[in-house]
Amino acid sequence: MNFFELILKQIRQRSLSTILTVFSIALGVGLAIAIIVLHREGQHVFGQTDYGYQIIVGPKASSLQLVVNTVYHIDKSPGNVKWEVLETLRKDPNFRADVKQAIPQCVGDSYNGQPIVGTVPQFFGYDDEGKRIENTEDDPNRRFTYRPGQSFEIAAGRIFNNDKFEAVIGSDVSAKTGLKLGDTFQATHGFPQPGAQPDVHKEKWTVVGMLKPTHTAADKCVWIGLTSFYTIFEHAEAEIQRNQLRTGEKMGASGGEDEGKKHYTVSPDGIITLDPDVMAGREISAILVKTRGSFNAMRMLTTVNILPDVMAVSPAVVMRDFFSNFLEGPVTLLLVISCLVTVVAAVGILTTIYNSVAARSREIAILRALGATKTRILFLISVEAAFVGAVGGAIGFVLGHAMCAVGSGYLARTLGEPINWVKVGPEELLYLVAVVVIAFIAGLVPALKAYKTPVAVNLVAL
Amino acid sequence: MALALENVKKTYAAPDGTTVTVLDVPRFEVGDGEHVALVGGSGTGKTTLLHSIAGIVAPDSGRIVFDSENATDVTQLSEAARDVFRGRHIGYIFQTHHLLAGFTALENVLLGMTFTGRSPDRQWARHLLEEVGLGERLDYKPAKMSVGQQQRVAVARALANRPRLVLADEPTGALDPNTAQQVLDVIRKLCREVGAALVLVTHDPSIAQQLDRVIRLDELNRR
Repeated sequence: MNFFELILKQIRQRSLSTILTVFSIALGVGLAIAIIVLHREGQHVFGQTDYGYQIIVGPKASSLQLVVNTVYHIDKSPGNVKWEVLETLRKDPNFRADVKQAIPQCVGDSYNGQPIVGTVPQFFGYDDEGKRIENTEDDPNRRFTYRPGQSFEIAAGRIFNNDKFEAVIGSDVSAKTGLKLGDTFQATHGFPQPGAQPDVHKEKWTVVGMLKPTHTAADKCVWIGLTSFYTIFEHAEAEIQRNQLRTGEKMGASGGEDEGKKHYTVSPDGIITLDPDVMAGREISAILVKTRGSFNAMRMLTTVNILPDVMAVSPAVVMRDFFSNFLEGPVTLLLVISCLVTVVAAVGILTTIYNSVAARSREIAILRALGATKTRILFLISVEAAFVGAVGGAIGFVLGHAMCAVGSGYLARTLGEPINWVKVGPEELLYLVAVVVIAFIAGLVPALKAYKTPVAVNLVAL
Repeated sequence: MALALENVKKTYAAPDGTTVTVLDVPRFEVGDGEHVALVGGSGTGKTTLLHSIAGIVAPDSGRIVFDSENATDVTQLSEAARDVFRGRHIGYIFQTHHLLAGFTALENVLLGMTFTGRSPDRQWARHLLEEVGLGERLDYKPAKMSVGQQQRVAVARALANRPRLVLADEPTGALDPNTAQQVLDVIRKLCREVGAALVLVTHDPSIAQQLDRVIRLDELNRR
């Protein structure tokens, strides 16, 4: 029988109290590991700096709301900017030097809870004719990317025609809504609450393409052409009223969608032509800007913010600030709490083993009589405590990652971005080592009691 | 000579502050392989003498020397060194078995080998248990065995490291005469097999007279 077998035997003799102690350690460690992983991976997701674009231009409002709505497709849009802003970014000499690509996005509708986003084929790396934009040696960054080096890819079908009632769907949409290639659907205004009467628009889109997974929020979106987005009656009416306000015309009363009034025409081959009033009043929820370099991005952040009613933000900076300002504190607090839970669990080890030492004074005396030195007994009890800590730590480690797997599923459903819950960081291993050391130290208290157990007295008392 | 004690004294502080001498042995020797019975009434210092020889307690003065050829005076050893020496060279049998409840008969014998620094000899442990008549009960835990069987496991454990000396503190005191005889027989048989000397404390004259020499502790101990 070797030393470790002896420890296992001793532990097995008090299996119930050992299991309970291991359980309490596993809970504390699991909580701490989950917080460590969520903190690290959350920072990676929210504080990511690897966007395929550098700037988001939107209305002067909450920069966080703009980024969260544009990148993660949650929360409400903070408002719109005029179409002219897009034109300015694309054509104005002051910006052309900085802007490589400017991609408009319009939001505000949904289908079965999934956001509908109006944009242009260039967002997906296709031109207006539906051809793939190829990078060249001269310009290796022609195609728009959602992450550096990563552009959208069609898994089935093709990209939509910007001027038709066509849609492509993210990789998660089919599973969530049942939509598949060739299906038609109608958009719902906003995101109606459960039980509320949905305001379903009468226009019908056909699904012509399905995207490959990107593991971003884009996977949960239904993407439609920007022109078709403006055909929705409320959108068109709003564009007209804005145009009337802008030009000083008297605002006409809305005819209402029920009257069948439309602000567009559709040719026999399905091409949409918007009414001039709608065209003149078009607005955009956000513009994704890929700059020519980091210096250009810095300059744009300054110059755009000079413009009235428009702001430019760096999504990486906004999300990093959000994470450090709003999440860092609570996460640190949770981490402290979980560390306290671990310490309480370590005290549990101390108590359990201390009590067992009192009950085991006879056994300890026998071991001493058989030749075990005091130091050996000290080591035996401390290693037993460290072993209990290590087993509890290992179970807690698995438990923590399992909790993160659940959290990852939730984030994937809500944000479209799962976390890498499998990844093991050095801080976790450091924490586990700390748990074993704490358990070992906790075991020293009863071990010292065992160390001082008077052999002769305990043998005679038997 | 297996063991020689010279002027071994042990005192304790009484609760009233006085000093009580419990052991004062001017000379006590046990020859190689000799089986000695120590007899005496309660409070004559039998257990203190055995604990002193085993190094469980340190005498205040005197010498306790093992093995006249490679003499080791255990009184000169540190507590840890005495523990190791005891584990390697002395087998101890208590009045009650003192087996560990969670361990099987075989594991209890192997436990006796754990602290010697040598590899446990499983085959020898089995042999010992077979010799004490428990070859069929290797995996039995103490609770599943009779008192006599438990004591026989304790005998096997005491012989696990092939000791030079076996100390037995009233090993048959809690047994009926038949079982007591069986236990005495296996103790002597195994001591002979490994060539160990035996110092056996007993109240029972019929047990004592079977050994090579009988010593009355009240004559030996002049406290």
